[in-house]
Amino acid sequence: MKTPTLKSYLFRILPALIIIFSGLQAYAGQGGVVETIKKAIVPFNDEEQVDSVPPLPRDTVLVKTKYQGGIFWTETRKDKVERFKCSQCHNNKDVTIARAAEMAHGDISSVHGGKLRPLSCFTCHKKDERDFLVTEKGSKVDMDHSYRMCGQCHFRQQKDWVGGAHGKRVSFWAGKRVVKNCTSCHDPHSPLFEKRWPKTYSRPIVK
Amino acid sequence: MDSRQNNDCLKKKESNRRQGKQCGRREFLSGALKAAALGSAAMVSGCGTGLLGSSEESALKWQEYFKKNYRLMTQEEKDETVARLERLAKLRKGVDIQMSSKEPVEDVLFGYAFNLTRCEGFMECVAACVKENNLDRKSQTQYIRIFEMEPGEMTPESGDGKYFHKVPVENHFYMGVQCFHCESAPCIKACPTKATWREPDGIVVVDYDWCIGCRYCMAACPYYGRRFNWNEPQVPVKEMTKKQHYLGNRMRGKGQVEKCTFCVQRSRAGRLPACVEACPTGARVFGNLLDPKSEIRFVLKEKKVFRLKEELGTDPKFWYFID
Ligand code: HEC
Ligand code: HEC
Ligand code: HEC
Ligand code: HEC
Repeated sequence: MKTPTLKSYLFRILPALIIIFSGLQAYAGQGGVVETIKKAIVPFNDEEQVDSVPPLPRDTVLVKTKYQGGIFWTETRKDKVERFKCSQCHNNKDVTIARAAEMAHGDISSVHGGKLRPLSCFTCHKKDERDFLVTEKGSKVDMDHSYRMCGQCHFRQQKDWVGGAHGKRVSFWAGKRVVKNCTSCHDPHSPLFEKRWPKTYSRPIVK
Repeated sequence: MDSRQNNDCLKKKESNRRQGKQCGRREFLSGALKAAALGSAAMVSGCGTGLLGSSEESALKWQEYFKKNYRLMTQEEKDETVARLERLAKLRKGVDIQMSSKEPVEDVLFGYAFNLTRCEGFMECVAACVKENNLDRKSQTQYIRIFEMEPGEMTPESGDGKYFHKVPVENHFYMGVQCFHCESAPCIKACPTKATWREPDGIVVVDYDWCIGCRYCMAACPYYGRRFNWNEPQVPVKEMTKKQHYLGNRMRGKGQVEKCTFCVQRSRAGRLPACVEACPTGARVFGNLLDPKSEIRFVLKEKKVFRLKEELGTDPKFWYFID
């Protein structure tokens, strides 16, 4: 039997080489859509170009920072917090009922920051003005703007939330930008999502 | 899945069949041809129940049968076919649908990003997609698949796509896969009837009426993005999404291929696709790739992103990212 010469050997692997090289080219090229995106630098005018953009929903507030596209809005929270206004009870009168705290807030136990050493209630709630949240420096934060309070400790998540990589936009990609507030998704007292059953299931793939 | 509803649906179909109300394209065509040969317009009634309503239905079907490929239609022709399809839905199922043939918005190229660290496998997206897009309940067609993956795995082939237990499971992550709307889509090249194409806003669509069901596109797609209707899709009328688009969630027929359209009926109207809107964790980001201020551009700029099987050169407009 003859041993194959180098030339015939090359011929045999040629098809494989061609496939590999063309694959690499496509990979290294990065032309295509990535190039198109790089070239697109003119902001899109939602209001003018999409005819059916909706008016701003009523339960939104203007966020106190801007994102790359200017001003934006987030969902209000005060109207969704059951026990608001807190000052109905938390006023300067003393509470005289025994076990009042348990009756009023028995359902709330904070595990935020770890079960062993959770954050104290007054890291977040302003002690003397209970309708408000509080920053580390002691200034008050409106409950609709809880993202400002969370953002002190979760700086990275807040930055992503402002930019659009954390949290989510509500209903529309076009028009005025409205996003979910941190506490629309996270229970501030137990911020991890709970385990639960998926909404549906998939059947095995049939081709 | 609610099997009772399916049964109801089957029964209805059965009784329709017995009454001779339904008929396939072929029987209809041969019937219509005979009638035409006799030169009698009054006899153009493919299934021949002789009722007035049914002859209107036949006439509409007849016109539908000879319409052009959507891409070759003038706006007037599009309006006509949409009106016919609305009327046919009313005659056949008694549903009032509103169908649109809304054109792409200028300066828009749709793109999608999926946050692998955020998704928890709740599958709200899948359920919302089935509902929005009128997917067949009988064979449980789904456009989206969610795979439960071990750390380190990076292709869904090795993940578990049919989990059903409480989620999320520790030390696992979840990966959603659907049509990636490739810029250089192999499925488009594979289609012998030009029934599938890329729209100017980047959405890869199917003209269901031009699909002959050869499934070459399915074989060509490296992502398993397309679905085939082995049976007539069945959707209970009560659950049907009535706002439809010609290229989107209108009812398909047996033997036709369908797929995710980024919910063209919603996205062209400025709304988020149903999966994005339904996602409770914010793992799904959707927007205009040509808009430097969009969320999707933020993700592409600030995050480590990758695409599946990028080396194939399909150039998908669907990125995965971790944060
Ligand atoms: C129905 C009356 C009532 C309402 C409404 C109410 N609280 Fe209270 N809350 C109480 C009582 C009673 C106590 C216990 C006595 C105290 O500390 O004043 C308490 C205690 C607290 C404490 C201290 C708990 C502890 O373990 O030290 C916090 C924090 C608190 N409330 C926050 C709020 C916030 C925030 C709201 C509004 C969203 C609110 N409460 C609304 C009645 C109420
Ligand atoms: C990490 C900060 C944080 C900590 C710690 C915290 N809270 Fe809160 N709490 C919030 C925020 C933010 C809200 C507003 C929730 C919303 O927007 O839905 C809130 C809401 C509440 C409410 C109103 C809930 C409702 O739906 O009626 C009560 C009551 C309350 N907190 C009590 C407490 C008590 C008692 C503690 C201590 C055991 C505590 N909180 C610890 C941030 C915190
Ligand atoms: C005073 C600082 C502080 C504030 C304010 C704060 N957090 Fe936290 N948060 C923590 C700490 C500490 C942890 C624990 C981090 C860890 O375990 O790595 C944590 C953890 C979390 C987690 C992850 C939960 C987990 O168990 O891993 C989420 C989600 C979260 N916070 C959301 C919020 C939200 C939403 C707010 C505003 C309502 C908020 N945080 C406000 C300190 C804070
Ligand atoms: C659309 C819902 C949504 C919104 C809005 C949202 N988050 Fe989250 N966030 C999540 C999910 C889902 C996770 C994953 C956590 C889990 O596994 O439970 C997460 C995780 C986190 C964590 C844990 C660390 C990490 O990155 O995984 C922090 C801290 C956090 N979020 C803070 C915030 C803050 C601060 C805001 C507001 C500025 C916010 N989130 C808004 C859904 C949301």
